[in-house]
Amino acid sequence: MTTRSTRSSRRRTVVALSVVLAVLIVFVVRLVDIQVVNAREHIDDSLALGFGASQTLFGARGEIVDENGDTLAGSILLYDAQLDPMLAQDGITRKDENGTSVKVSWPDLAAQMAQITGQTAEEVEKIVTDALAVNEESRWAYLKQGITTEQRLALADLGAPFLTFVTHPARTYPDGAVGGNLVGFVGRDGEALAGLELAQNDCLSSENGTRKYQRGKDGVILPGTQVDDPAVDGGTLQLTINRDLQWYLTQLIAEQAQNVGAKSGTITVVDAKTGKVRAAAEWPTVDPNAYDASAPEDRYSRIFSGTFEPGSTFKALTAAIAIDAGGQNPGSTVTAANRETFPNGATVRDPTAHPTNNYTLTGVLIDSSNVGISKFGDTVSAQTRYDYLKNFGIGESENFGLGQGVGELRTPDTWDNQTFYNTNFGQGLTTTVPELVGAYQTLANGGMRMPLSIVEGCTASDGTVTDVPDATGQQVVSETAADDVSLMLENVATQGSLAKQVAVPGYRLAVKTGTGEKSDGMGGYKAGAYFTTMIGFAPAEDPQYVVAVTLDEPVTVKSSAANAPAFQKAMTQVLKTYRVMPSESETPELPKFG
Amino acid sequence: MSDLAYELFPASPRRVENPERRLRPLDAPQRRRRPKLAYGIIAVAGAVAIALAQMTFSILTTQGTFEVAALNQQQRDLNYEKQMLYDEVAGLGSPQYLAANASALGMVVADTPSYLRLSDGALIGAGQPASGTSSVDAIGRGAVQNALIADTPLVTAPDATIQGAPMAESTGDSATPPPIADGLPTPATR
Repeated sequence: MTTRSTRSSRRRTVVALSVVLAVLIVFVVRLVDIQVVNAREHIDDSLALGFGASQTLFGARGEIVDENGDTLAGSILLYDAQLDPMLAQDGITRKDENGTSVKVSWPDLAAQMAQITGQTAEEVEKIVTDALAVNEESRWAYLKQGITTEQRLALADLGAPFLTFVTHPARTYPDGAVGGNLVGFVGRDGEALAGLELAQNDCLSSENGTRKYQRGKDGVILPGTQVDDPAVDGGTLQLTINRDLQWYLTQLIAEQAQNVGAKSGTITVVDAKTGKVRAAAEWPTVDPNAYDASAPEDRYSRIFSGTFEPGSTFKALTAAIAIDAGGQNPGSTVTAANRETFPNGATVRDPTAHPTNNYTLTGVLIDSSNVGISKFGDTVSAQTRYDYLKNFGIGESENFGLGQGVGELRTPDTWDNQTFYNTNFGQGLTTTVPELVGAYQTLANGGMRMPLSIVEGCTASDGTVTDVPDATGQQVVSETAADDVSLMLENVATQGSLAKQVAVPGYRLAVKTGTGEKSDGMGGYKAGAYFTTMIGFAPAEDPQYVVAVTLDEPVTVKSSAANAPAFQKAMTQVLKTYRVMPSESETPELPKFG
Repeated sequence: MSDLAYELFPASPRRVENPERRLRPLDAPQRRRRPKLAYGIIAVAGAVAIALAQMTFSILTTQGTFEVAALNQQQRDLNYEKQMLYDEVAGLGSPQYLAANASALGMVVADTPSYLRLSDGALIGAGQPASGTSSVDAIGRGAVQNALIADTPLVTAPDATIQGAPMAESTGDSATPPPIADGLPTPATR
């Protein structure tokens, strides 16, 4: 017979036992889990803790090279020197040549460090004092970031155990500001910030790898424990730019823009047959090695971001359209007064006073008559002109990621009566340097427009080449029309008012100027401020290179005459650089008046 | 069933009844055969050889590791040296440095060239004499910056840099000729 109490005590025992058993089972399960199921993982962990080491294998960011393979942007290694302020303040004990220990106090050491890093001793001491002021037990502060290998080794030679170095890959631009507007730059943290560095980051960027190994007592890698996950270097980006030419033109436009007091200036050179950009120089520009020394607006390319009303350079396009679709030829004539009011009420006037002339199309281009070209423009419909301009690439800029500049060419149904005529001579619409150069490349290349390119290709580290530019052209106007315009532009060069300034002795040259009015942002034009352009190609009998010089608001000379000296020198240098043979014929003279 | 099977699996109970029949006394102890020494030697020698080989390999690998470590160190040093040399010459090949050096020597960027055709000696081009003035002023108005060599003196004019810097006072017009140090100067044409 069981009493109530014995029954309850037995139940208690059973419960207690079962609890103990349950806990035991949990422990057993956990033990099996640790010792058997996850044993490998724990062994690896312990090995990693004891001997494991890993190191980052840095992949080098790809180089940017010019057309001849000369480096425009390369990769180097820089170091960040760090110190332990708490240890630093105690100084160090160093052994001299005789083996006796010498105590070197912190101020002495700071002076030695300062000498290496180019800081002053006070600055170095201040780093430690400041760090300790914030936290008495401070163990970390930067001595200096971005020191060179030479400085790093010299600092290491001081034998201060509280100094450590962190390697970080950095970028160097051996040619400085040569092509800085195109190449762009990479920030201190390795992030691409501007230019092709940013636009072609996919090509250039590298992948870091790791090396894992177990380390012996002396830091020696234990045999058979090394596992490499190799780094992948970035691809080499080859540009179509020629760096010597780029330098010359950058220097030239800087001098010229300063000579005439312009706000900025650009020179662009394009291969007439292939559309490859051989140089795109501008002033002011940026030295990617020290990009913070340039004003923020100068750190990017104006060529690819600026838009402007082109002015008279567009007359060559209108002429080509009139010949191709309006049945005109270089000898076709119109009578043009100094100022005329057209039937639709629009008034067009010429910049210089002249009697009513019976101009040929050639004469209209030579004297840059707005009235004359408006009449030739009338030989085709507004829609036809619009379509041709589109085909010339106006309003469809290719900027290679270097800027957002796109010309504004509105559809003809939005043109008012004045714009209808103004578009004939490059007002009432905007364009960009690449668009304008592309249009002239079309005229220089027998009416065949080749897409502009600035990247020759991207060669990945495994040898595959990508980003090769498209080489299919588009016939915009007939070859006859293009050749006729070329011949007329030659006569502009020989008979125009700037003939003497632009002539390149020995070469036949085709050229056109443009003095575009600048919008004041309130629907009108700025008084006395122009965007001047001079564009042309040589040798005209078989054009090889198109050169465009632009100046923004030149002061001492306000017309495109300001561009003439720079254009002449630029064209001369281009022809010299590429050893273009002089012309063996003379420009046939076309009549200016009918 | 084979004979072997019979022996392995004695199935008949009759056989189990007389197990003593299988054990019988021998007349004389069988003569003890001497163990073949050769086998022993081969086995031991093999074991020793394996142990030795293993040890040798281990030593070689360890030695190799140290060698690799030493070479790694050497590679690191050479990399440092390479980087230092790269840093040292960085920018010295840039066009603006070359141009500034050339203009310090009095060289100019000239006008259009003329070409001589070798086949018939014809002159192609304008054939005008060069003006002698430079189309750009690479040293006086150096406008293409390069922070890498901003403070690097020019080779041809040690007190000037690409930044323009004070042009050395013209030495060409000096009344007293420079002293001759290494004999008469000779052109270095070959």
